[in-house]
Amino acid sequence: MFKMLRKIIQHQRVTQDYPKHPVDSSLFIGKPSIDSAKCTRCGECVRRCPSAAISADPESGMPSVDSRACVFCALCEEVCPAGAVLMTAEFELAELGELVEKKIHKIFGRSLQIREVDAGSCNGCDYEINALNNPFNDIERFGIHFVASPRHADMLLVTGCASRNMKQALLKTYEATPEPRLVVAVGACACSGGIFKDTYAVEKGIDSVVPVHVYVPGCPPRPQAILYGILKAIDKL
Amino acid sequence: MTLHDLHSKIRAEFPEELSGGRIINGNELYLEADPNHIVKLSLYLYEQLDCNLVSLFAADERVLSGNYIIYYAFAERKSGFLIILKTAADPNQGAFLSISKSIHAAARYEQEIHDLFGLVPVGHPGLKRLVFHGNWPENHFPLRKDFPLSHRPETAGFGSEFTRIKGEGVFEIPVGPVHAGIIEPGHFRFSVAGEPIFNLEAQLYYVHKGIEKLCEGKSVEKCFYISERISGDETFTNSLAYCQAIEKIAGIRVPERAEYARVLFAELERLTSHLGDLAGICLDVAYGFAAFQFRMMRGWAYRMADELCGMRFLRSVNQPGGVRKDFVSGKEKSLLAQLEALKKELEDTVDIIMHNSMFHDRVENTGILETRIAVDLNAVGPAARASGIPHDVRKQFPYAAYRSLEFRVPVYHDGDVNSRMKVKIKEAFESISLMRQAIESMPGGNHFEPLGPLDPHSHAFGVTEAPRGENVHWVMTDEAGNIFRYKIRTPSFCNWPALCHAVTGNIVPDFPLINKSFNLSYAGNDL
Repeated sequence: MFKMLRKIIQHQRVTQDYPKHPVDSSLFIGKPSIDSAKCTRCGECVRRCPSAAISADPESGMPSVDSRACVFCALCEEVCPAGAVLMTAEFELAELGELVEKKIHKIFGRSLQIREVDAGSCNGCDYEINALNNPFNDIERFGIHFVASPRHADMLLVTGCASRNMKQALLKTYEATPEPRLVVAVGACACSGGIFKDTYAVEKGIDSVVPVHVYVPGCPPRPQAILYGILKAIDKL
Repeated sequence: MTLHDLHSKIRAEFPEELSGGRIINGNELYLEADPNHIVKLSLYLYEQLDCNLVSLFAADERVLSGNYIIYYAFAERKSGFLIILKTAADPNQGAFLSISKSIHAAARYEQEIHDLFGLVPVGHPGLKRLVFHGNWPENHFPLRKDFPLSHRPETAGFGSEFTRIKGEGVFEIPVGPVHAGIIEPGHFRFSVAGEPIFNLEAQLYYVHKGIEKLCEGKSVEKCFYISERISGDETFTNSLAYCQAIEKIAGIRVPERAEYARVLFAELERLTSHLGDLAGICLDVAYGFAAFQFRMMRGWAYRMADELCGMRFLRSVNQPGGVRKDFVSGKEKSLLAQLEALKKELEDTVDIIMHNSMFHDRVENTGILETRIAVDLNAVGPAARASGIPHDVRKQFPYAAYRSLEFRVPVYHDGDVNSRMKVKIKEAFESISLMRQAIESMPGGNHFEPLGPLDPHSHAFGVTEAPRGENVHWVMTDEAGNIFRYKIRTPSFCNWPALCHAVTGNIVPDFPLINKSFNLSYAGNDL
């Protein structure tokens, strides 16, 4: 008991006050950006991208990155012969879908219950969602809890590309969640099918099965990036 | 005994049944076997030569030889040899002889071949669908070359069959695929009488994504990024197994500096994983303080990963030929200091939990995996080492720089949650020591050796010790030097049946704890 108390005193509070205070992102590998002045339109990044996230404009030939499909592998930066691609440290990439209802945060007030559903991920995103409960992120400080049943949930946090074998379970979980309900797609797979989108066993992202309110790109997105997406969905940023 | 001697010995034993012996990549012996004698041949390797079945897979080689080829990969672990029996399966007959009755570990591999290739394992003791659930129609076999990658057949229906246990007071508890915690999907069907579990059947493959099919025809580079995404928390070890196979096919030597860097990253991944498992075990017995201690340390491990490469899951670190950058240079001092702090904290925390009798009460004698079952099912990794099986790929098939570094392989014999936990604790300390050695003795030089084009129709194994155990990958190239077949067998594939045995006789509330002590990957199993 004494040793335990000593530990509690030794490591007082390790929780980071994100998003009030920004995290030091200098080491992070975030969204790629392409400098149109340097880009020679050679198409090398388009050809090499493992998740087909880069496409060239049919007229100008200028490549652009679809961050929902990007797996943040940094290969485009490495292979660009003109040095036009740069991996920025930008990681807060959550985007609102077309569905978001403005008043929803008023309904949920100051608390939010989340049910997580893995609909065919590699488990990377799920570990990062798990990390929201660790002492560094401690998501409960926002009044946000993960709950055991969709019937108790206001929000579904869905990872994975919606595999064929999970499609029915995802749909049933969605239907079991009382309205108003929010769906947040976490990770490249959930947002677009990611690197797996072309196979016989998956859908191209979970919005082909259930409506999505917020997309959180990343492969996997960092815990803070997921937190950013959740807070964005309930308009609490 | 060298592999040549062993080859002669096997050939002398079976002059008629075997042909075309070929040794490649230093330790892989391929023998062409008469399909009618495969049961006898595999049993000879298994029983007389004490080899373990480490992978069993098919490849659609109709374009090359007119047949499907089935590969039976056995490991002679004491000497670090792989002996592979190759048999042909005639596409007109669409069947092959099952070896599952004599080698039980073969059962799931044969089911997988049945689902994905449509070849029937004749004499299989319990043939039912594995990969596909009721929604998949009959007569669609995705790993046949004539099945288009993006073909999504109509939904056939729903529902699956489970083993029924009947009797007075016997109930079934269905759990999943969506669970109460934040974990991957799988369906568990418990048959119980009161609290004790009679039988557990795990229906997996909910996260089957068709990874092996996706890789076919892809360039070596594109396939590498897929290999990193087989199982999130085993990114590095899976990519390393893939790289190893590619490097063997290319016949290149990875620079020494990269070999040491690979040890550093592989051990960081193991440390992160084990700390997470320890946190999970503590959390599942409601030991909050200890769980949060381990979670804090896991956070520190992630911080090291960020400092090394900016990727918490060590993605985009490896590449065939070495590592992508000189990640370590200039960070040695900071890393060593962090490792020291982590070691101290781990020692303190382990000291606290090991003196808590209530905690012991929950983990001791819970979820015992008997040694004979572990051997029979070819259980691997910490789960096997906790049941007295001392195998570790890093010792038996040394790769990267493990040959030059010192470490011990902890083994316990009780096979319970406590033993698995103790193995992981000791391994975490060994990982810290290995990382320290790797940093301190890392030689200078290049971190990368460029890769030329690969020879057509070449193949090789890549074998690593993942945090969850032995990880066996096999890559074959096509005529253009792209990927023809990529067979992935992660440790989770071997250990899932072992988990189902370990829970028998335990009470339902202990299932999460037992499950956590194995911590298997669903994604790594389902592919």
